[in-house]
Amino acid sequence: MSFHQTLLLGSILVPALCSILLFSGLGKRDSVVKNISYIGFLFPFLAGIILFVNFDSAMRGYCFEVFYPQMGLQELKITFHLGLNGVSSPLFAMAGIVGLAAGIAAIHSGADRLRLYLALLLIMQSGLMGLFASIDLFFYYLFHEFALIPTFIMIGLWGGRDRRSVALEITIYLTLGALISLGGLVALNVLVDAEKFDFPSLSSALAETALADSTQVKIFGLLLFGFGILVALFPFHTWAAKGYEAAPTSVSMLHAGVLKKFGLYGLIQIAVPLLPEGAREWSPYLMWLALGNILFVGFVTMAQTNLKSMVGYGSVMHMGYCFLGVAACTALGAGAGVMLMVAHGLSVSVMFLLATQIQKRSGTFEMNEMGGLGTKTPILACFFIAASLATIGLPGFGNFWGEFGVFLSLGQEPDHHLFLGLAALGIIISAIFGLRAIAKIFYGSPSDELLEHVKKNPISDLKSQEIVSAGIILIALLFLGFWPRGISDRIDTEIETRYSGVPSLTTTSLPPCCLLKLNNSTTDGNLTNYSSDKIGIPTQNNSIK
Amino acid sequence: METETIAFSLLLLPLLSALVTLLFFRNSGNIASLLSVATSGGILVFSLFLIFQGENESFVWQGTWLKLANWELNFGFLIDAPARLLLFVVSFVGFLIHIFSLGYMSDDDAKARYFGGLSLFMFSMIGITVADNLIMIFVFWELVGFSSYLLISHYFTTDEAAQASKKAFIVNRVGDFGFLIGIVLTYWIADTVNLIELSQLVDSYPSYYVTTTIGLALACGFIGKSAQFPLHVWLPDAMAGPTPVSALIHAATMVAAGIYLLLRIDFMFTSQVLTLLAVLGAAMGLYAGFCALVQRDIKKILAYSTLSQLGYMTAAFGLGMPGIALFHLMTHAFFKALMFLGSGSVIHACHHEQDIFNYGGLRKKMPITACTFLIGVLAISGVNFLSGYFSKDAILLGAYNLNLPVFIILYAGAILTAIYMFRLYFITFEGDPRSEKSTNAHESGPLMTGPLILLSILSIVGGYHSIFPIAIVESILPDIAKVTEMPNHLWMIVLGTFAWVAGVIIAKNLYRRVDQVDPLSVKAPLFFSLCQSKLFFDQIYAFYVKMIQDPLTRFFEVLELLFISGLMVRGSAGVAGLFALIGKTFYNGKIHSYAFWFISGTIAFIAYALGLLGN
Repeated sequence: MSFHQTLLLGSILVPALCSILLFSGLGKRDSVVKNISYIGFLFPFLAGIILFVNFDSAMRGYCFEVFYPQMGLQELKITFHLGLNGVSSPLFAMAGIVGLAAGIAAIHSGADRLRLYLALLLIMQSGLMGLFASIDLFFYYLFHEFALIPTFIMIGLWGGRDRRSVALEITIYLTLGALISLGGLVALNVLVDAEKFDFPSLSSALAETALADSTQVKIFGLLLFGFGILVALFPFHTWAAKGYEAAPTSVSMLHAGVLKKFGLYGLIQIAVPLLPEGAREWSPYLMWLALGNILFVGFVTMAQTNLKSMVGYGSVMHMGYCFLGVAACTALGAGAGVMLMVAHGLSVSVMFLLATQIQKRSGTFEMNEMGGLGTKTPILACFFIAASLATIGLPGFGNFWGEFGVFLSLGQEPDHHLFLGLAALGIIISAIFGLRAIAKIFYGSPSDELLEHVKKNPISDLKSQEIVSAGIILIALLFLGFWPRGISDRIDTEIETRYSGVPSLTTTSLPPCCLLKLNNSTTDGNLTNYSSDKIGIPTQNNSIK
Repeated sequence: METETIAFSLLLLPLLSALVTLLFFRNSGNIASLLSVATSGGILVFSLFLIFQGENESFVWQGTWLKLANWELNFGFLIDAPARLLLFVVSFVGFLIHIFSLGYMSDDDAKARYFGGLSLFMFSMIGITVADNLIMIFVFWELVGFSSYLLISHYFTTDEAAQASKKAFIVNRVGDFGFLIGIVLTYWIADTVNLIELSQLVDSYPSYYVTTTIGLALACGFIGKSAQFPLHVWLPDAMAGPTPVSALIHAATMVAAGIYLLLRIDFMFTSQVLTLLAVLGAAMGLYAGFCALVQRDIKKILAYSTLSQLGYMTAAFGLGMPGIALFHLMTHAFFKALMFLGSGSVIHACHHEQDIFNYGGLRKKMPITACTFLIGVLAISGVNFLSGYFSKDAILLGAYNLNLPVFIILYAGAILTAIYMFRLYFITFEGDPRSEKSTNAHESGPLMTGPLILLSILSIVGGYHSIFPIAIVESILPDIAKVTEMPNHLWMIVLGTFAWVAGVIIAKNLYRRVDQVDPLSVKAPLFFSLCQSKLFFDQIYAFYVKMIQDPLTRFFEVLELLFISGLMVRGSAGVAGLFALIGKTFYNGKIHSYAFWFISGTIAFIAYALGLLGN
């Protein structure tokens, strides 16, 4: 097994092993516990970065493949098959980065029963890395559950206000969503006569015998609403903000930042390219629901005075853009959706992180009881302003490219111009609540409550570990903002291949300039780039580049 | 060195400087300020090099920035004639303002933050200037908005600055909303956002590409950034920032970037949009003049005068004379930066007193500031043969020959300009000191007076475009030639002279001798309060936010809690609970009821198997 394959497998196994070590009660001292956890979070981080850098963006299909056919149930076409492609590699790296930041925050959180807390968080991390590394759809789903179950436990044990009822609501919702999407996946498994249960096999099987349109619509509906519930699609979003408000910070970071991307990842990577007719049928409905995310939830976000629930609602709101990208049913929309997913994962998690740092200092999440913190904590203010502006899509941060790409994808089709206009209102809405929060927390003069609190608890600026955990995320966001090609190239190669089979909705007359261009380009769009013989040979693309 | 290397250095140098300040010199304001000033010097050198390289040819360079499916975006430079002019204005005026800031901000606690912000602004502004496509312009467009936000909120502990910075950013975002849609529509109709390619396409198929919708959407960006009607409300509030920032960002460069954007895409506008812009601009020229007439805050007067002058530029553009708009942009940058810096010098000397009725007699205390300020006042009023005379009278002459109603509004605005500017001058610098602060004022140091003197020289001679190298003013020459050929020259000289002379006489009679009360409020109270209301725009927007937007957000929140979270989630939980309740009744722990259900089930099964049920 080559170095890179080892890293890929290790990024799943190392956190899991560290978690087992912690469960087994090894090491009585705190420092041992902390060091084990550091290893568990650092390894996926480094693996994510190294594999991201070494990924060949000209590659179509999967890199660094790890293939164990004997693991899994071959009768059910399930095999253990890991690998990264252009879409999953940035998300994989993002999971590593957010994981490390959440890990550092957790290690220094001073939670009681820290050992158990870290052990559960490491399981979650292992599941998250596995989710994006899986090619096989069964394991993709399995790793998601692997990461999801510790979430419930951790909210129930370490959560804040009303943690039990919230844990219950979130469990019911997410289990329901997972169940519905499982139904869709099972239907795919059963109805498509493929060699293996992964995208390349399914798509080549579908290329030979396509599913009937009505079947596609049904399966896509299952996947859309199953995945949609998991991503907090309007109106199934109420669990999210409440859950994040109650959850311990590191859990909110990992869930809102990374785990929630499971559903969108499934829609973009699997559902739309495999079931293009189904996607087309559902597209208008999805657009309206996504607008619900942007406008309805956007307005609700504006009404929030609690910082953490504002961040939670804000994250739900911006998911609407990703859904719009999916609903556009074009390679551009999907690609922009992926870019936004990566940036959103980073920006949301750093917002949760900083919100907690603010709460540690001011003693409250209530923004009306803060004010004037900027003079006392300039670094925190600087980080928070950067993170807020990243969230509201300021150029220079990764979110901008994703949002802009989604807007662009909506402009392609004249029928979608209405959605473009309404969705673009979101940039004003998010500016309003983002800047309101900054002004309320850091500008102006301190409120009476804050002065009272400060008397008893002197305020200090960010500590070095807090700077590191927020800093790595912000650096990643700036990298994406200034050098979008860093991820767009690899997404482009993969998405173009996957979406070449998705029929374009466009029927408009072409402008004079395009006629020339069109004649020069070849327009045969079949999923021929996935030659089925490449799939079974995992060793082909593993050499170090 | 390759030209693109210079262009990249020019662009990235201020970014690097801001980054180094942020990382290493957060707490050492003096090093940060020197670094920033050195950076602005470097910018000036690089821009001059770029301006004078290659015999006045446009410099074009492109590299792929992003490629995603059918969206290809280049990072590119387009340094053509208008870009060279703006580059000169930005780097030269920017450099002088940096030096002035050294003196003005010398006793500020957060110098590092201030100068870091200035460098960030220079980066974004240069980005707009050299960008070769609309999306890249949009990127830097938002970034100047952000740096403006940072700098307005410099004194963030005051509520005024906190509110003003937020307002500036959000109002700009409203404009950017339209701009963004315009860009997206342009991309899909023309398949490119590159400025050169767009202009070529429009040349070949004008009727297909130029539509009123797209033109209006693109103009939204300009309306937000240049603070034109109805998004003008943020600019006067933005005066909460430090005065050099007002000079650089809110007078000389950033707000003028809106005009520059129009110029870059002037081929995208239909005649309807152009006429609309001309009328909007002229109306703003007059409206802002009335607002300026009754302000007491020295910076607010200058802010409204900026709005008014931006209106002149817009009108010039709308009348089809983009070169003249650019010409006025340049001269305005000189004299408005001069006056803002002059007001900074006064504010600095009077310990941050900004009410002009608390000044008075400052000419004797601060002769250099007073003298240079007077030059600025003369220039903006259009006194013959100063810089403002050439650019403004070119606009008036063009309007006279092209669109008479617009001319009448603009001409009224010109008289008004002279009145409110001389009002400002008389009340501030003449008469006797009216407060302790102005009694004890004394002249600022050479770091502040130096830039004032240089700018006042440019305010005098800046209108003679032939003194500038052709590389800088090339873009304005065609339109100047056009205006020169227009009839009614002599007539315009008479009218122009009459405008400023009338203004001076009115101002002198009204404001030569004042105390704490504005004489106009006594003589014409109704007119005074009408001007002071600024036609209620702020109130209307505040009403919208308070009475419509906020209740709507609360309504949605209630809807969310009651309907979605309450009824649907709890409701479905209730339905599940009902089933559980029904189910539970079967498990009552009594053996005979289990036996009963077992037997009835068996009977039903047998009945079904025998075909008695169902079919």
